[in-house]
Amino acid sequence: MAECPVCGGDVELTADAVVGELMECPDCGSELEVLGLEPVALGEAPETEEDWGE
Amino acid sequence: MKVGFLHSLIRKEEKLLLDAFRAKGDVELVMLDDRKLIFDLQSRPDVDVVIERCINHSRAMHGLRLLESAGIRCINTSEVARICGDKILTSLALKEAGVPQPELRIAFTEESALNAIDALGYPAVLKPAVGSWGRLLSKVNDREAAESILEHKAILGSYHHSIFYIQKYVEKKGRDIRSFVVGDECIAAIYRTSEHWITNTAQGAVATGCPVDDKLGEISLRAANAVGGGVVAVDLFETPEGLQVNEVNYTMEFRNSIDTTGVDIPAKIVDYVVESSK
Repeated sequence: MAECPVCGGDVELTADAVVGELMECPDCGSELEVLGLEPVALGEAPETEEDWGE
Repeated sequence: MKVGFLHSLIRKEEKLLLDAFRAKGDVELVMLDDRKLIFDLQSRPDVDVVIERCINHSRAMHGLRLLESAGIRCINTSEVARICGDKILTSLALKEAGVPQPELRIAFTEESALNAIDALGYPAVLKPAVGSWGRLLSKVNDREAAESILEHKAILGSYHHSIFYIQKYVEKKGRDIRSFVVGDECIAAIYRTSEHWITNTAQGAVATGCPVDDKLGEISLRAANAVGGGVVAVDLFETPEGLQVNEVNYTMEFRNSIDTTGVDIPAKIVDYVVESSK
């Protein structure tokens, strides 16, 4: 379990979570990035950049 | 086998690929986060092959070139990234391979771009040469709109927004096709349907299964080979003259296409990466 950096709500990580993974806070809907696993750390996902894509 | 996984953010596609690599067995994954990598032109990561899954085109292209320079086989290659990441280079590659595509013009000034749109006819579509997910596309319905959009691009955009890629508008009746090519096989395809003229799933289009017949399979492979081959997604328009290739994507997204097509796309990609690097 980790704390959403935006709303402070509880965010549960899946067992196979990896660093860099994107997830959504179930409370506030913010897009989050897993910054660390031991200990678990979450941050706000970066804003879309101009050259992002496929 | 050590597989380098070049990435930044881990999205649904990367997660599915990581799971598929782990299921493969005999594969050791080495995570290469492009936000942490430092290249010195001398050393090389201890990997046998690299699969590229960056979200930034510029990092992908340069990262791949640096890794190739270190003697590492990369999928896709930096050349594929360079071509697919730039619509002008993609159109040139398609033209040189004789692959049908919508009529287009390229111009470097507002005045010449306006003349080009006038000659091409309205509506036309303005696209940034580098860009994805259907962002910053403009359907230009008349001359007044063209003047306004070109002025905005020239004044408000960075310099590469004054490289004007102008495509004839294709009436696609609410859908286009995305096909998935892995190596020498077109493994699956979807229709992307939307009431909006932009039929990109990132913009809300709905994916449904599309059968891969001989024509679709053939043009998809020709488009993939035109840009250098590997693992690519080809976007196509259905026109009265036949299929036309709109774009080729080199870091393809497929989260909406696995259940839709019944094809295990990540497993196909992983098999290709492993087999082609033996």
